[in-house]
Amino acid sequence: MNREDNKIVAFCCEHSAYQVADKAGRMRLHYPDNVRIIRVPCAGRVDVQHILKAFEKGAAGVLVMGCQEGACQHLTGNTRAKKRVKYAEDLLKEVGIDGGRVKMVNLAPDMAQRFIREVKEMAEKIEGEMRR
Amino acid sequence: MMNNSVLVIGGGIAGIASALELANSNRQVYLIEREATVGGQAASFCCKATEVCTKCSVCLVPQKVKEVKTHPKISILTNSIASEVSGKAGNFQVEVWQKPQYILPERCIACGICFDICPTQPKAIYLPSPEAVPYSYVINESQCLRLKGQECNLCQEICPTDAINFERKPERQELSVGTIIVATGFDVFDAREIGPLGYGRYPNVLTGLDLEKTFSYEGSLRLPSNGKEPHNIAFIQCVGSRNESHCYCSQVCCKYAMRFARLIKYQNPDCQVTIFYIDLQTAGKGFAEFYEECREAIRFIRGVPVEISETCYGELEVKFENILEGKVGRESFDSVVLSVGMAPRKDSWDLARILRINLSDDGFFDTKEPFNPIETNVDGIFLAGACQGAKDIPDSIAHGTSAAERAMEVLVRCK
Amino acid sequence: MQVRIGIFLCDCGESLKNIDFSRIRGDLQRLEDIAFVDISHNLCLEEGVKAMTSRILAENINRVVIGACSPELCEHSFSRLLKGLRLNPSLLSLANIREQCSWAHEGDVTGKALELMRMAVNKARFLQPVEKKDIPVNKEVLVVGGGFSGMRSALELSRLGLRTTLVERESVSGGKLGEFESFHGIETTPEEMLSSTRKAVKENADIKVLTSAEVTRVEGQVGDFTASIGRGEEKVSQSFGAIIFATGYMTKILPQDFQLKPDVNIISQRKLVEMLQAPGKLERRPGTIGFVLDVSDENSRLPILSTLNNALAVKERLGSEVYVFCKSLKVDSEGVEKLYREARERGVVFLKFEEKPRISKEDGRVKVEARDVLLGEEVTLLCDSLVAEEKVLPPEGTEALSSLLNIGTDSAGFYQDENVHLYPVASERKGIFFVGGCKGDLDFTRTLADISSATMSIYKLLSPEKVIVEVEKVKVEPEKCRACLTCVRVCPHGAIQMVRVDTEKEVAKIYDLACDGCGICAAICPAKAIRFEGYADEQILAEVEAIGESL
Repeated sequence: MNREDNKIVAFCCEHSAYQVADKAGRMRLHYPDNVRIIRVPCAGRVDVQHILKAFEKGAAGVLVMGCQEGACQHLTGNTRAKKRVKYAEDLLKEVGIDGGRVKMVNLAPDMAQRFIREVKEMAEKIEGEMRR
Repeated sequence: MMNNSVLVIGGGIAGIASALELANSNRQVYLIEREATVGGQAASFCCKATEVCTKCSVCLVPQKVKEVKTHPKISILTNSIASEVSGKAGNFQVEVWQKPQYILPERCIACGICFDICPTQPKAIYLPSPEAVPYSYVINESQCLRLKGQECNLCQEICPTDAINFERKPERQELSVGTIIVATGFDVFDAREIGPLGYGRYPNVLTGLDLEKTFSYEGSLRLPSNGKEPHNIAFIQCVGSRNESHCYCSQVCCKYAMRFARLIKYQNPDCQVTIFYIDLQTAGKGFAEFYEECREAIRFIRGVPVEISETCYGELEVKFENILEGKVGRESFDSVVLSVGMAPRKDSWDLARILRINLSDDGFFDTKEPFNPIETNVDGIFLAGACQGAKDIPDSIAHGTSAAERAMEVLVRCK
Repeated sequence: MQVRIGIFLCDCGESLKNIDFSRIRGDLQRLEDIAFVDISHNLCLEEGVKAMTSRILAENINRVVIGACSPELCEHSFSRLLKGLRLNPSLLSLANIREQCSWAHEGDVTGKALELMRMAVNKARFLQPVEKKDIPVNKEVLVVGGGFSGMRSALELSRLGLRTTLVERESVSGGKLGEFESFHGIETTPEEMLSSTRKAVKENADIKVLTSAEVTRVEGQVGDFTASIGRGEEKVSQSFGAIIFATGYMTKILPQDFQLKPDVNIISQRKLVEMLQAPGKLERRPGTIGFVLDVSDENSRLPILSTLNNALAVKERLGSEVYVFCKSLKVDSEGVEKLYREARERGVVFLKFEEKPRISKEDGRVKVEARDVLLGEEVTLLCDSLVAEEKVLPPEGTEALSSLLNIGTDSAGFYQDENVHLYPVASERKGIFFVGGCKGDLDFTRTLADISSATMSIYKLLSPEKVIVEVEKVKVEPEKCRACLTCVRVCPHGAIQMVRVDTEKEVAKIYDLACDGCGICAAICPAKAIRFEGYADEQILAEVEAIGESL
């Protein structure tokens, strides 16, 4: 990956976000094609090293997408993911990458519009910063 | 001859819960569903979380639907009904009729080429929903030119998998099963029955079900009349419940109204939200805290509206009995949501006749004795879910799994 | 063994027109270890399956990568296909080139599809097989709590062929059901229900009842719990496959909520029941009986259930005037609306307040003052007895037991975490269930459904001849484990425990039957000693690396 490719790596939990991405596709709701979804069993599976590796390999943005707070299939997975995303954000700031490049998103399996919005926001943010 | 398999009539959340328990205990299950897709009413509902989960339990549905679709021990027959039943516990014979499968779900790959080529408006061939299981196109028989007797074979010709065939006829099957579980669900109360509330006349008078569909597709609420966000919205409780013809509480309305009210307020903090109620149902796990939050964000008025009319500004004026102030009140809103309740299905009497089971005074399927929510007057036939009485999603799942337990007792006994 | 990958691409009946499949095939064929790249029109249909089958049988491959529609639709059938061909289903890697690519974008769709395939191929290189085997489970069930729910659970389990041990803290079983006087409209009294249930339990050879006994310790996992039961001086240890908690609830009048002066005579529902059961013993029939609800707890169903039943019994047996003060009637249980209407027809008067009533004493009677919102007036009632609302609370020992077992409670202290995925009767730990009043949600019909749900779930778990698990899908590598206990603490399903491997060392062990496959342990292990097959670090990172990798 090159930073200019503006790739967004989205770790999507199979119980919520992955299904939402499918729903968006089924509804033919288009979103930027630079998103790469990696399916995980729970947002809690995502480790800080996975997030950092994505940036190391040239990703411009990372989304970690899991279930609604309080509705995690595995009870604490999304809470843990949120903490790790925060930690990753702080680490990224230290190496000069804007913290807003990594984001935790909580959603339910039916929220197609929300998924589109989050992805588009991240893509616009990245593009905006690239132009500067 | 004793039979180790089970028939579940109805593929909604309760039927699915029953089917899964039995299939996971290694019993063959036949799940018949009247519509083209399984999942029932709850499959079209939306998540009502704000920043945190509000326990609406809608997310439990797709998970269970997926399990039922892929389970090797469950045979799903969509577009099917039971037309005749004979026999007794341990050995029932059931005649099942399936509507003509003009499109075979097993062959449909949902590529959508047929949709593109269909000449009618709106399209006569369509996908019931993005979450449909089976994920297969279906034909709207009242729109389809071919089925109305006209010359058109476009979709059948273009389908790359030969899934479409207008020559297909209804199919009959005989199933031998050990027990039967009835899980046919409910009808949403038709708000048109209360004329003065204006449903169907005023575009901005909506029902709870309309909100479910809107949020599921659009993610937010826009007024049907002008596409804008609501600024002043009211909810009216007990529409079709707790009255002479529906002498029960539908159990779901206060909760869904509060969840929607809170969600709308969260999405539009400037919107004023009002709930008109008789008695607020706030019991249930995890609800008390949410209720406290609601009290701060929502205006609760004790009093039941009797009439909705349109003002000259195009707003909706609600005339209600303001109980606290002891007088008739009138207030204007830009939208009103009728919290409609759950009613028994109008075709329940048909199934009741076929199975020889009783209906209660309310029109739901009756159980053989009080404090036994599952067993009917016929040994070996059990009830699951809202077809026995109004229930929410978690209670329907519990009811479905408990019906499976009773069915299992019969199968174990009959072995 | 050398990795050999077979790739299948599906163009979904040639409908995915924005993907240039031949270009993708060309690019993929240039990668290392690729045995073949086939394009199909319909991998999900019979024709496609046949073609896949003959290809796989003809070639000697040990990994399969498929680019098709969403794994949510097709993963299951492809796994089954692999199994049928004697290939381990874990050696399958899928790319979603339809819903998440062709259908979702307008731009460089082929470019994205190619990348998705490369991600799947990269991941496939690291996939390892996961075996399944059957494990023995203990088929006995422990029921904690000898009330109606506990006894009924034991009886249902027996009808399903499972044996139970019922542990009851008190010296006699029965719990709270006997405190109810009657269920209006039903001939059988609660006392009769209780005796017939007790009798059935006593006569049932599958049920062992231990009264004056308490569970002091539980170790192990689903299929193999070890419970220590204390009975006075005795301590017994026994193995169980699953546990049901039916520990019930307790009720308490909270005088501070009523702002009562010490000499005011308020009674509990239980006291009223005593009066109803022996009306002849009363010095004087009470002329007026009042009930007050929604003072301690606005969100509970039990007070209105007791009140309606008892109010109707009062009308029948004592003929007193009955007034009920409440804020909002909880009618969302089966049959309660009808009961409410009948009570009104029999002359029970319901008064609804917004602000709490003021309760005091006057002339030896209880005075209740409140503003009735329906009348819009201040109402003063003088009654001979005022039945006060009792707050429903978790019984003593709930907190201790829940921390003993590592299971959650809700914000009110009752069992079961509020997470909807646990509804209706599950706990975070597989094999442990809650029924009835101990969940806080009190209602007869719901309790009955809970009981059957729990017994069905247990039957499903324990009854199969062979209980099959995926062996070590998530596994601790003992050499790397530093016994820091992080995974043990963090596992939301309590599926990890320390085991001794030799005299010096203890390592963490993940119990296959209890594991729910979330991977939280794998992410958190500081020594990276946990491997989650299918989502292992190297597999996830391989996917990341494939993004934008030049050929």
